[in-house]
Order: sequence, then structure tokens, then C-alpha cells
Amino acid sequence: MNAGDALAPFRIAAASPDGMKAWAKFLHDPNPIHLDPAVVKAKGLGERVINQGPANLAYLINMLQAAFPGGFIESLEVRYVDNVFGGESVEAGGTVKEVDASRQRVACDVWLRAEGRPVLTGSATVAIRD
Amino acid sequence: MNPPTAPASDLGDPPQVAGLSLAGSAPYVISAEENRALCESTGVAPAADGSAHPIYFYIATQVGMGMTVAGLCAACEFNVEDGPMMASSRVTFQRPLRIGQPYRVTGRIISLVRKPSRKLGVMDMLEYLLELSHPDGTPVLSTTNVWVLPRRKLP
Repeated sequence: MNAGDALAPFRIAAASPDGMKAWAKFLHDPNPIHLDPAVVKAKGLGERVINQGPANLAYLINMLQAAFPGGFIESLEVRYVDNVFGGESVEAGGTVKEVDASRQRVACDVWLRAEGRPVLTGSATVAIRD
Repeated sequence: MNPPTAPASDLGDPPQVAGLSLAGSAPYVISAEENRALCESTGVAPAADGSAHPIYFYIATQVGMGMTVAGLCAACEFNVEDGPMMASSRVTFQRPLRIGQPYRVTGRIISLVRKPSRKLGVMDMLEYLLELSHPDGTPVLSTTNVWVLPRRKLP
């Protein structure tokens, strides 16, 4: 693995409204913008339910874990730049920024897109195994 | 041409909440059942080695801190119905999260800063720190989140 290498993408075919109901329970957060499209519309935020930000971040983590089997995510930093709406396709990916072979650490730029639109941007450092 | 925005000095002061403790009162435990459901909802199988999905850094700290999301907003004199927005998250792990391990949550509000916004009118940027540790104090992770609290009703 070398700087500039692309990380294999992780894809979700369609963000599921049922999944959002489950995440409302995981997060103990019943915000209706994740549950009721009428509320989303009334707030002028769109036409469909909005996926929880941490769920979007979980997709990105899945991408990192698949890219570095057995690795340990030491740090992760992201900016939330847009929403994922119910039914949208999602893709997480990244690029190797730096490989520190002596410390067995890989630094990456990471991102998540919905229908090609940026949703998360950030960086991560992963401790890797031989 | 963009409309002018008020200078920060004309926006009023946000509530003085820096330093407010967010320590939880009860340990947070990740159940195998919920971890499985969460993993499957994101398109992966749960790990076979007893580790939990790393996204529990966010869930465990949010659910285990000393107040609800609505309560945290209320402490900032913000109605959760007005729509807080996540701006950024940063986490540093010292060790993996484990199924069935009790975790203690501590933390505090770092800052609440009022700013003009061309898109939102006036907004407060809430930054808070949460840390997860074992009951004996062994550190597990540290996370800092920033939320945008839109203050559309201010002048």
C-alpha cells in the first residue's frame, strides 16, 4: 500500500427508512426528521426522511474496516456537509495519504457521497497488522 | 451580491455554558443484540471477536452522557425542535469497544460561540467533549463533536 492508493469503496444501494427507525432507538433520539417525511417537508429540508449522521459515519467506518482487515482505527475526524435522504445510494471511499511503515500506521483521506453528492469529508489513521 | 451580515458584536451573547459537566450517572453497556442489529442496518456482519462496531463511540457517549440531546440543547437555551445540525466529529481510540463491557461517560461543554451566517442568519457553534473509560478509569476513547444551533429568531 502506498500514498495515493484508493481504498476500495463501500456501497449501500439505498438508505433505508426502516434503518432510520432502528437508529432512532440506538441513539435514543426520536427526531421526526428521521422518521416522518411530512416533518421533513414542513421544515423545508426536502421530501424524504433524513438518515442520521452517525449512521452515515458508520458506513465510512465499514469502508475503513474492509480496507484494513484486522486494523484498528486510532483516529477519525469528519465534517458533516450534507444529508443522506431515504432511498439514496451511498458510497464511502478514501485515499491513502501517508504510510508510516516503522509505526505500522496508515493515514487516509476519507469521504462519503450520496448519489455522488459529498456528505462526509475527513481523515483517519489506522494501525495495521503485518 | 450577498446580503450583509451583522458583526458578531451585534448578535448578543450566547448562554455561558462552557465547562458544564456532561458526565453520565450510569454505565453504558453495548449489548450483543443491539450491536448485531446496528451492524446489519449498515450492511455488515458483527465482528466475531467480541468487539463492537466503532460507531458506538458516538452512540455510547451520546446516550450515556448526563443529559439527552434535547437537554443538551435546552442547556444552550435552544429548542431541539428548531433543528440542531451536526457540523463535525473527531474521535481518538485508545482501545476497541467491547460487547458487554460497562463504560463510564465523562465530558463537558467546551464552548458555545455565536456567529453570523449568510445561510442561517445567526447561529451558535456548540463544541463538547466526551470521554469513555472503564469503571476503573482505563481510558477507551475521547470524542469532540460540534453542532450548529440555528438562531433564526434573533435579529
